[in-house]
Amino acid sequence: MHLKHFISTAALALVLCFSANAQTDTTSSGSHTVTRDRMNKGLVTGGLDALNGQSAGVVITSGANRAAMLDAVRVRGTTSLTGGNDPLVIIDGVASDISTLGTLYPGDIESFTVLKDASETSRYGSRGASGVIKVDTRKGKGGAFSLSYDGISGIESVCKNLDMLDAEGFRAYNRANGYSIIDKGANSYMPGSILRTGTVENHHISFGGGTDESRYRASFGLTDHKTVVKTNRYRTYTAKLDINQGAFDGLLDFDLGVFGSLKKSSDLHDIQHLFYSSAAFNPTFPIGAEADGSYSQIPEASQINNPSSLLEKQFDSDNAHFNAHLQASIHLLKNLELSAFGSYSYNVTEDAHFFPTIVWSHGEAYRGHTRSQDFLGDINLKYTFEAGPHHLELTGLTEALQTVSDGSFATTTGFTTNIFGYDAIQAGALRPWDGTASFFEDVGLLSFMGGANYSYSEKYLLALSIRSDASSKFGPNNRWGYFPSASFTWAAIKEPFLRDLGWLSNLKFTVGYGLSGNQGALGAYNSMSLLRPTGIVNMNGTPTTSFGIVRNANPDLKWEVRSSGNVGLESGFIDNRLVFTAEVYSSLTRDMLYEYEVSVPPFAYNRLMANLGKMSNAGAEFGLGGTPLHNKDMELNINVNLSFQHNKLISLSGWYKGEYLTAPDIAGLNALNGAGFHGGHNDIVHQIVGQPLGVFFLPHCTGLAQAEDGSWYYEMADGEDNRIAGQATPKATLGSNISFRWKDFDISLQMNGAFGHKIFNGTALTYMNLESLPYYNVFSSAPAKGIKDQTVTDYWLEKGDYLNFDYLTVGWNVPIRSSVIHNFRISASVNNLATITGYSGLTPMINSSVVNSTFGLDDKVSFPVYRSYTLGLNIQF
Amino acid sequence: MIIVLATCCSVLEEDARDQKPADEIITDANALYLTTLGNLYSQFGADSDGEGLMGTYRGIYDLNTFTTDEAIIPTRGGDWYDGGLWQRLFLHTWETGEAPLKNAWNYLYKVIVSANQALETLASNRNLVPDDDYSSWNAEIRAIRAMYYYYLVDLFGRVPLVTSTSTAMADVAQSKRSEVFTFVKSELEAVVPLLYEGRSNIKGKYYGRITKPVVYFLLAKLCLNAEVYTDDDWTDNLRPECGDYLRETISWCDSLYGLYHLETDYSSNFSVFNENSVENILTIPMDKQEYSSQFQYIFRSLHYDHAAACGMSGENGASATLEALEANGFGTPDQDPRFDLNYWGGTALNLDGAPIVMSSGEPLAYRPLSVALDVSGAVDEKFAGARMRKYAIDPNGMKDGKLVGNDIVLFRYADVILMKAEAMIRLGQDGTSLINEVRDRAGAEPYEKASLDNILKERMIEFAWEGLRRQDLVRFGAFTRAWSSRPALEGEANGYTTVFPIPADVLSVNPKLTQNPEY
Repeated sequence: MHLKHFISTAALALVLCFSANAQTDTTSSGSHTVTRDRMNKGLVTGGLDALNGQSAGVVITSGANRAAMLDAVRVRGTTSLTGGNDPLVIIDGVASDISTLGTLYPGDIESFTVLKDASETSRYGSRGASGVIKVDTRKGKGGAFSLSYDGISGIESVCKNLDMLDAEGFRAYNRANGYSIIDKGANSYMPGSILRTGTVENHHISFGGGTDESRYRASFGLTDHKTVVKTNRYRTYTAKLDINQGAFDGLLDFDLGVFGSLKKSSDLHDIQHLFYSSAAFNPTFPIGAEADGSYSQIPEASQINNPSSLLEKQFDSDNAHFNAHLQASIHLLKNLELSAFGSYSYNVTEDAHFFPTIVWSHGEAYRGHTRSQDFLGDINLKYTFEAGPHHLELTGLTEALQTVSDGSFATTTGFTTNIFGYDAIQAGALRPWDGTASFFEDVGLLSFMGGANYSYSEKYLLALSIRSDASSKFGPNNRWGYFPSASFTWAAIKEPFLRDLGWLSNLKFTVGYGLSGNQGALGAYNSMSLLRPTGIVNMNGTPTTSFGIVRNANPDLKWEVRSSGNVGLESGFIDNRLVFTAEVYSSLTRDMLYEYEVSVPPFAYNRLMANLGKMSNAGAEFGLGGTPLHNKDMELNINVNLSFQHNKLISLSGWYKGEYLTAPDIAGLNALNGAGFHGGHNDIVHQIVGQPLGVFFLPHCTGLAQAEDGSWYYEMADGEDNRIAGQATPKATLGSNISFRWKDFDISLQMNGAFGHKIFNGTALTYMNLESLPYYNVFSSAPAKGIKDQTVTDYWLEKGDYLNFDYLTVGWNVPIRSSVIHNFRISASVNNLATITGYSGLTPMINSSVVNSTFGLDDKVSFPVYRSYTLGLNIQF
Repeated sequence: MIIVLATCCSVLEEDARDQKPADEIITDANALYLTTLGNLYSQFGADSDGEGLMGTYRGIYDLNTFTTDEAIIPTRGGDWYDGGLWQRLFLHTWETGEAPLKNAWNYLYKVIVSANQALETLASNRNLVPDDDYSSWNAEIRAIRAMYYYYLVDLFGRVPLVTSTSTAMADVAQSKRSEVFTFVKSELEAVVPLLYEGRSNIKGKYYGRITKPVVYFLLAKLCLNAEVYTDDDWTDNLRPECGDYLRETISWCDSLYGLYHLETDYSSNFSVFNENSVENILTIPMDKQEYSSQFQYIFRSLHYDHAAACGMSGENGASATLEALEANGFGTPDQDPRFDLNYWGGTALNLDGAPIVMSSGEPLAYRPLSVALDVSGAVDEKFAGARMRKYAIDPNGMKDGKLVGNDIVLFRYADVILMKAEAMIRLGQDGTSLINEVRDRAGAEPYEKASLDNILKERMIEFAWEGLRRQDLVRFGAFTRAWSSRPALEGEANGYTTVFPIPADVLSVNPKLTQNPEY
């Protein structure tokens, strides 16, 4: 259909046909709301910490340094290969992202709602294809002025680290084996040389007030987190203001919010290199610089550096985020409401790094900035109709989103001095051609949606919706996708025959089905054949920039479609003292967007972004909450959620321009790194058709065997191929919270667990290999074991099951009876209390959800395990 | 509503600003050059694995070098095991999934498909250039494409001939090795009259480009190797009679006579400023300011301390084999003068010629004779093997010494002389004066009589580490013989390893392609 024609008909449809607001949670069971009192209470420095473990089916993977950075959030697992697996974050109606949520101060959050089913996410269309985390922040309440302060202060200290051979053992082994080493006479525990006691500070002040018609709330927060690794620090400053104004006796409502944040990060560059260096560096070297400020290095250990010297690298970024939104609602008629919403987000990241000449030949300085600007507008029309037991709600919605991203960077090298850092990058003599660039990207989404919610006596609830979405990323003929959804809920508890059962307080069944489109991580311009600068060549004797096509264009790109169905149960017993929920779901992703491997020739490049394969996901989620004890003095709450998830990569084949394309059935997703690990046969986690995404595909080791020289090696069955040996993603995840209150004291324990997956312990494979000596240190247990081999086999593939005690918090609500102070609470927390696991590495809590280079692979990148001890204070006036 | 609709229409149009459609870029002859020939030449050199004709790792050069009796990357304890890759290459036990195979295939075809695209772009913009330029550019693009097919026929034997961007997947099927050879040869012959006749290795308009002499050289190579390339069944130990091709080799070599000369100083061909060499025929232009192509082989070879003393980094890897030492008469009174120009075989010296002292306090000295497939645990684990000295170290090199000024030599005139000598010997003529011309320049004793044996040996010495060895060994039927650290591979004698397997992933994405014999 011609675009313009379509728009006018769609607009007409919008005007004529109003429909339902599927946002209404009445028909959903998959959605899960976490309110303030349920949010995590331990050390939470960002919005996501507050949610971790609280909602079934939601997996939050923190970055390698755990608390400080956030890698990813998965709602019901990975459903797309190309990306776009991050759930949509909606903060007060404004589309946002996970990193912004990470900076939002938990104290500003009123509630989280996690939407998982197709009919629940239909309001958000393709952007919500991987689930939606809806965050409502606290707004001013009418009435008296109120002021509150929240603060946390604490320290972090390492409680578990790698056990490397100490200087004595290092000398002894090398002497015994005739290796000559450089012995500087020190006895250094190198893994500790880059560590310190970390600190964490959060302070947050908010105030609000107003009248019934006019309310406001303002808050300001700051966090400062120095992690346990030297130089690694994150500071966040946030400010937030919300104003609501009603007018004309409630006919008109304005809602204005602004949010600004600045996150200053001093990151660690190449943490694998840093941790590899700190583990394997010669322990007879003193820690730190020589008297003249230089660092002794071991040139033979070319894959590592003196760990202290690596801390001289500067790797900083400032991320500033600003967002403003305005919503206006008009009650046109008694039951007809029109609302318009507009928002603008501006996000800019300034990156700067400097690698001094002591660790980087000729040094390198870099400055760059990337920014993205989002413009979102929507118009929403809602009509409600009520007659006796019938209740009908119709909504119509149109929405447009435009995102413009651009940026630039410059790199220089050829430094003779390190004193300028990245503040005078012209101190470097050379500007490599590929070290300077700028870029621009511009994508848009346009949507129309109509929906109807009908309920009869609050007993039967039906929700229907259809949306049409268009994305600029697709070819002109494939831009539009149509995604209907439906769900039906039977509130059995409202039936006369159940209503009067004393012990049953809630019973609801829901069934739903829907389609959703995903275009997620697809970049701009994939559908177009475009030229860009490719390099420098000689033209008429002068170096000149050449232009070329650098990827296969696919003009037929279209929506990836996921169909999903769900059946759920919600029940409550004895006045909801015991609550049980269960839901099973199943989804199928087809026309899966992915950079498929294609035949060269006829293609110029061996990757083509196309819609070919299929993947399925299925799972079950259970929630059990109980309040076995509840009286004036005592209260005990126990909440457990348990999710099972199964994923299968069904196919990587399909049709493209009339030809059947097939990508290889087996492809490596990540590989080991380090000395002697570059090149073949080091792939660990694979993507295999017919298997869950991310399985271990390794040669089988039959055990250790002794070589002629007495050393041991990993013996492999002769002539046997690699075998599939488990999956990287947990089959089950668990979140549990137990809280107990006695009078004004309370205690709360949070546990999270994951089960049924495996981890490849590449760290042990590396550090058990005595062949690394004398230049790279090994585990203290390595000499006794005598292994001289680092062949990749399933020997170091271990079970990843764990149960982690995330935090324990003890609080006291000090009973101050004062007209000024309404609430006064002090608390103490320990985070990362203990882990129960059979995994032999540092921690089983590695990346087990995101398909990337660390997926299921523990390869010298894990932060040492540390605990946080914090004190908190909360005062409300 | 009107505003909304207006927004909607623009929202769905992607405004590409950092990349543009061809018709917006190509508005004059310069832009046409840069999007066609320029874009192809920008891919001759590279800075990442598997890309480029020479200079980088895990691509064409490694397949032609570390599979031979010329060079080896020994496993050194924790270093250089790399999943057994280097050992498998050396032992000829490579697998079809080996990364360098796929890298080489994808790289060569990427440039070929880009050349097809360039021909079509040129044709559709023919109005932008004078007729003469049009035909010479067209010829030059076809010559590039033929050269890339030459690398393919050499490495993989039976490969698909694709000459248009509109070729459907269903039509991508392998041609016989001899058909690919014929295609390359006829293309080169067809275009050669239209090319610029001057030299390509000197700075100026044709710097780094394919000119007539480059094509003469390629035709000579092609004809000399004809008995290999026209042999459609290379596992039967029989080769076609190729006397005519040998006579042709001589005549192509003769076309270069007088245009090029042997440099008096062998090393000057590989110096930091080697653009003035009268011997180099085709080079990849290098300049740390102007180009981004890298030369990573010195970095890969030198000991850490050696490289560090020269202002670069080193990976302490690639070494000369015992066969290379023997050919050079290493350690004997008759040691070839080129040994010390091509290799570091003893005390390592810094740029000022002073010995390098290691952090342990001892002077750094290589131990060429300790080289083996796996030297792990040996006393001289880190010192075993003579290292690469060919190509002067650029004292101002950047990026660990990989971004340097020395142009990378792909073809040079000494090869022309030895090709001609070899063809003459194969035709029963006397090539002694030619081989001795090359030896004489290096200061080596002349041979009494040139033979195929001493030609092969001379080529090992003269062209050490220039990426030619595999082709030479195959042509001489010597690729499958055993050598030190490399026992004869069972079943290899029939010659199946002289052609690499079609990479596993290439077969899996195009089921019409079939694997080469015995893989």
